[in-house]
Amino acid sequence: MRGLMTATAIVALLPAAALAQSVTIGITQNNVGVDSYQTTYEQAFMAYAEELDGVETVVLDAGGDVARQIGQIQDLIQQQVDAIIIWPTQGQAVVPAVRQAHMAGIPVVITNSQIAEEGFEFIASFSGPDNITQGQYSAEMMCEALDGEGQIVQISGQPGYTTAMERQSGFEERLAEACPGVEIMETQPGDWNRERAQRVMENFLTKYDQIDGVYSGDDNMGVGALNAAKAAGRAEGIAFIGATNFAVGYEAMERGEYWGSVYQSPVEDARNALDTALAVIRGEDVPFLNYFDTPKITQANMSEYTKPVF
Amino acid sequence: MATDIKTAADHGAQLKALLAQQGILIAFIVFTIGFAFSSDRFMSADNLMTVLRQAAIIGTIAVGVTVVVIGGNLDLSVGSLLSFATVLVVDLHDKIGPAPAMLVMFVATMGIGAITGFLVGYLRLNSLIVTLGMLSAIQGIVLIYTGGQNVDIREQDGTWFAVFGRGYVFGIATPIVIFLGLAILMEIVLRRTSYGRKVFAVGGNPTAAVFSGINRSRMVFTTYLISAFAVGCAAVIMGSRVMGSQNNVGQGYELLVLAGVILGGTSLLGGSGSVLKTVLGVLILAIIQNALILMGYPYYTQWLVTWVVIILAVWLDVASKRGRLFTTFN
Repeated sequence: MRGLMTATAIVALLPAAALAQSVTIGITQNNVGVDSYQTTYEQAFMAYAEELDGVETVVLDAGGDVARQIGQIQDLIQQQVDAIIIWPTQGQAVVPAVRQAHMAGIPVVITNSQIAEEGFEFIASFSGPDNITQGQYSAEMMCEALDGEGQIVQISGQPGYTTAMERQSGFEERLAEACPGVEIMETQPGDWNRERAQRVMENFLTKYDQIDGVYSGDDNMGVGALNAAKAAGRAEGIAFIGATNFAVGYEAMERGEYWGSVYQSPVEDARNALDTALAVIRGEDVPFLNYFDTPKITQANMSEYTKPVF
Repeated sequence: MATDIKTAADHGAQLKALLAQQGILIAFIVFTIGFAFSSDRFMSADNLMTVLRQAAIIGTIAVGVTVVVIGGNLDLSVGSLLSFATVLVVDLHDKIGPAPAMLVMFVATMGIGAITGFLVGYLRLNSLIVTLGMLSAIQGIVLIYTGGQNVDIREQDGTWFAVFGRGYVFGIATPIVIFLGLAILMEIVLRRTSYGRKVFAVGGNPTAAVFSGINRSRMVFTTYLISAFAVGCAAVIMGSRVMGSQNNVGQGYELLVLAGVILGGTSLLGGSGSVLKTVLGVLILAIIQNALILMGYPYYTQWLVTWVVIILAVWLDVASKRGRLFTTFN
């Protein structure tokens, strides 16, 4: 009797499950495992997909190799997924593969890092941080920290990487327009690498007797610069401004050694990408540039934000 | 009259011999003086300390690799091994304390060195293939271990571990003391002990070495242990200096290290070379990098300049042995 009831219940449930439309979303990421941000992004992406009903995902990683990424996009086209999310390894080289997906009728969402402009007509939306605005925020914080007067150095991200270039140009343009009294004496790349940034800063400290501020393309490099300044006994007089707040940057801010940064959560980044792809599949109106919020974080307001997990 | 000519010829031969033997030292002096004129900051005591400190990590590894190369093999796994060792010592620092962390790191790192040494020494596999494979295998182990996350030491100011990367011994930065200390120690081992003579013998003429009763496999094995130990020392400096580590922190170091070794005149065929000349080779590369940055060029211009310097060094080395600059195949 009991068995029969259970069986009936299962039968009753079946049509409902079939009715709830299930969608499959494929993602090919840039290089998971190379840094904490990308690793946390992947974990958050899979956790969020798990949370949502009726969303299947195919999660791939290109390992920083553009050829492999193109292959993965073609695989996802073959699998006839409902949408493809791409974290470009290289903004230019992926465009033909993006075009193929578009021609096959599969909407493409670019995540985190923008592709080259000639690919814009083939994508449904870009989901990610607004790195130009981030650069501008950092310029505004630098201006405030120095009261509009001083000499600074800049440690930029990896040369050729869109995020690095956008943050740098946003910073430089805003600084020149809002804060003509602050001069950038020199810019050197730090490759998103703390040890390299530390070495670059050591050389800056030798070269310049007076450094009032350091702008780093992310906090990982910013903390490297701070290490170098502390070792030289010159950290006190220098305002450190970063971007992509890391746990180490957050802690340095707590200690009062680091002035400010831009709060960019990889969890938000991942959820925004998945939400954008779902909205595109449902045929909703999605802004072409679907940014998620990345506010300023300073010693003054940091209590409003939880410490980054990476 | 005849005597005078003979003396002049003698002087010429002496100069030639000096150039051939001490070319790296002369190049070092020329570079230093040249850069001294290029930037008034260059010769400051602060800057020279910075150069030495920045050279210490690569230099420490290069000391170990020199021993491997003299023994007739290559070690391209040192960059990945540095990532491995640094991630391990930094990650364990907060979990089990600095001293146990260093102990575990040295054991694990030298354990990997032992595997490499076994494959090359006892199984007689080609060292280029083995260590190239180890390069990616170890990088894989690092990523599995960390799951891709950065590792950090949280209480940076309260740990004595800071002394290795940030501290001073008698007014000299500790990384420099470790680097030069290890170099001098290894130079003495190579020149003054029977172990050292065996390393040269195994690298120079393996067959003769075996006939004279040297256990070639064991010698090769131990050179990889030395290389791994040197990497462990470098990891302690790196971890303490940065107080954190990325998964790929040593990426590309194998080439910089090898560049220093080659520039120092150690023969890639094995059997000849000098740790102290490797030190000079590494310092020349560090000086170039530092001077280019002081002159305002982005650091990656050094990759190009480094290449030119190495080609010049190798060419002059070959030319001095042949007695002429250009040679053609007949």
